[in-house]
Amino acid sequence: MRRIALHSLLFDRGKLAAALLGVALATTLAFVQIGLYRGFEVSSSTVIEHHGGDLWAIPTDLEVLDNAETMSVSVRNMLASHPCVRDVRALVYGFVFIRKPNGTRDNALVVGAEARSERPMPWALIEGDEHELAQPLRVSIDRTDLAKLQLSDTPIGATFEVNNQRVTVAGVTQGIRSFTLMPYMFTSITNARRLMGVVEGHAHFFAVGLRKPECAADVKRWMAQQHDVSLITRADWMQRTERYWVGGSGAGLVLAFTAILGLIVGAVIVGQTLYSMTKEHLPELATLKALGATPRELAGFVLWQVSLLAVVGGGVGLAIAYVLRGVMARSGLNVMLEPSTLSLGVFATIMMCTVASIASLRTVFKVEAATVLR
Amino acid sequence: MTQPDVVLVRAQGVQKTFTSGRFQTEVLHDVSLQLYAGQFTLLMGPSGSGKTTLLSVLSGLLRPSAGKVELCGVDISSAPDAVSARVRRRHVGFVFQSYHLFPALSALDNVAEVLVLKGVERARARAVASAMLARMGLGARLEHRPAELSGGERQRVAIARALAGDPALIVGDEPTGALDKNTGMAVMGALRQELTPERGVLIVTHDPRLKQFADRVLEIEDGRIVADYENAPGASEAYH
Repeated sequence: MRRIALHSLLFDRGKLAAALLGVALATTLAFVQIGLYRGFEVSSSTVIEHHGGDLWAIPTDLEVLDNAETMSVSVRNMLASHPCVRDVRALVYGFVFIRKPNGTRDNALVVGAEARSERPMPWALIEGDEHELAQPLRVSIDRTDLAKLQLSDTPIGATFEVNNQRVTVAGVTQGIRSFTLMPYMFTSITNARRLMGVVEGHAHFFAVGLRKPECAADVKRWMAQQHDVSLITRADWMQRTERYWVGGSGAGLVLAFTAILGLIVGAVIVGQTLYSMTKEHLPELATLKALGATPRELAGFVLWQVSLLAVVGGGVGLAIAYVLRGVMARSGLNVMLEPSTLSLGVFATIMMCTVASIASLRTVFKVEAATVLR
Repeated sequence: MTQPDVVLVRAQGVQKTFTSGRFQTEVLHDVSLQLYAGQFTLLMGPSGSGKTTLLSVLSGLLRPSAGKVELCGVDISSAPDAVSARVRRRHVGFVFQSYHLFPALSALDNVAEVLVLKGVERARARAVASAMLARMGLGARLEHRPAELSGGERQRVAIARALAGDPALIVGDEPTGALDKNTGMAVMGALRQELTPERGVLIVTHDPRLKQFADRVLEIEDGRIVADYENAPGASEAYH
């Protein structure tokens, strides 16, 4: 039965190509929409992820990374005094005003971190190096923000103003963008404090590395007396920030809605493609039924063809999605095709094909064997 | 009428009604008959007389609206679709007017895949199919697809497919309808040659020239069997 199904599928190359194209485009749509949504979600918490730490000390009741007051050095000292704590690393993070070369003003995000060698900040430096960023008033900018900052394609050494202080570009990153499209500028923590007027030793956040993960509850109890500071796991902090932006901003909801709409449109395209393919093969299905194929075997015929289309069309769709990701990245859009997105995309494709094949299966079950007579 | 021993099909009080919207059309009225092994039967009648519907009911392609049909000892009038399908697969070989070969498969695979469907291992199925096609004079056309064969050759592939798996009953619906006279007679001759004491053949036609191949003729009009008589086959040159 599989052999007949396979040969029937391959027989008419034109129709096969059209069917594959339909599935591929639907799959591309699903992957890109899910990837964009995931990219949006993740970009809001990407600094948290890359700064690392098992726990984060954050101002109590803070909902999102972007709105923090600074904490004093005493918080850091108290954390560091707990025997379970391996290290405490500060992060200075916040909005600044910039003045571009032509004199216009804009906003940017400054990130100054106490980095570790295994967690470099910034994490995608393609020009310059981290040590350069430790020099006074040196910053890195992202390649996708060059036009926005009115800088040339070779920006190393260029200068502009941040909070009325002249900074020099000493590094270029690739693909580090906030979902608000506000430029990220990475620098040393000393420079960040200076640019933002933060007192020496103070920081917006402290990332806490634990000697043993099971110490987390004990460290939290230890810090409970500090009423203006909360300890939260890194994963929970990332999730809270993502929820704030995705759930709280219209953009997140629009992207989520578009992703769902993409899946529905994809399912309709795949359904129409599979249904018309099944209709094409009705004479063969009726013949098989007349010759004694059971309804289950006929369903196998259709499902085998559907599976082949889903796998091949889905693979092509994924490849197109990867190409589109590269193209869209140049415009600063992050289509995230990480394992979890791919799993979700594959699951969505399987669901699209499964739902779409229902109409085909109904047709198969209803096919009259007697139609082969005349 | 002298009758062989083995009954392949037993129909009792068969009625068939088709419903279309508010309208019901009774196509078969109280048909009772038996088909036997070793007998080549023609079912004849004018267009619209119900002969194709009767063939469909007798071979298990359609369920009767009333009455009972036994095919090779199994009551298929009330059996689930899957049971009816298995009975057809095991006991019935079909030859259709429009051949209904699989266009994507070679002549060899058209026959072999039906054997695979019947549970024969693929290598053996191909060997049997090859021998069957050679017997039909198509030994040099094994790898040709249906579109690369003439009408007569296609119908002989269809006969080879029908014979694959050694069915007890071969059913043909106007098997010469799409063929010229000489090719049609050759195809009927090939079918006649496949008649054995264990196998019966039932052919639907409106062509009286085919009577020369039949042992028995059933005539149907307005959904009723109006004549059932023995016939002496072999009066034609084409038969020989």
